[in-house]
Amino acid sequence: MTEPTVVEPWVAAPLKRLAEDARLISGVLLHPSGRAVGQFGFSKAADVMSICALTSAINASSRELGRQLYGKPFYEMHHAGGDRQVFMARCMAGEQEFLFVGVFDRESSLGMVEIYFSEFQKALEKLIPHTEPAAPLPAGDFEGELNRSLDSLFGPIR
Amino acid sequence: MKAPGEVVSTLSHVPGVAAAMVVGSADGQIVEASPMKGAAAGVPDTRKHTAALAAYLYSKVSRASHAARLGTPSFMRLEAERGNICVVGLSEVVLVTIVTPEANLGRVRLDMMQAAREKA
Repeated sequence: MTEPTVVEPWVAAPLKRLAEDARLISGVLLHPSGRAVGQFGFSKAADVMSICALTSAINASSRELGRQLYGKPFYEMHHAGGDRQVFMARCMAGEQEFLFVGVFDRESSLGMVEIYFSEFQKALEKLIPHTEPAAPLPAGDFEGELNRSLDSLFGPIR
Repeated sequence: MKAPGEVVSTLSHVPGVAAAMVVGSADGQIVEASPMKGAAAGVPDTRKHTAALAAYLYSKVSRASHAARLGTPSFMRLEAERGNICVVGLSEVVLVTIVTPEANLGRVRLDMMQAAREKA
């Protein structure tokens, strides 16, 4: 497994542990706005960019779908493909909300991923630095925010 | 063919079985589970963890068994300090029991194998 690359160093250890324990092939931790916080298993910034944008959109849609259907948002999603499966869920650390999307195959199972994801959540909760929340960026700067986080993960595009 | 609820109910009445579960072999999710006997109030429920890990372990044991050209394992028992975890595999599900150290393991094994035959 490739070592996680992270924007916020405190997520590196829990992300590495999640990847190893749950036997994930790849995964991305991001803010609901689509800004990447850390990733493993990807070598191209473009892939992470697409995943962040899609995850952010899927999260927004599934929350609204949950609200419309059951009066409360869906926070977890699983898609079982032929060979590979996708697990998507949100986690809270202090006041901060994160989204996680991970890919696994038959070397793991949904049950395993759920178990280790709950441990990951607890680790984030414990490790989150207690600092003042950063001032929110101007709304609608999705692309700029995404590019800044990708620059931190993969280096600026030359 | 017995329903998962019946299988769990039968196995949970075997002396020494603290909990019985029918678990999806591919996803490790609980299909049906009996309550955990003797669990103190306020103690976190670990059946979900046990189910997922036992199903995962059974899949790895099956692989080892096939690699050794022994075929599909019929029964798996994990002996721990404070009891045992027993697993019997069917095609799409595995039967998992959490067993106390005082249990008659021969009886547990027999009843699990019987339940698997009836479930198949």
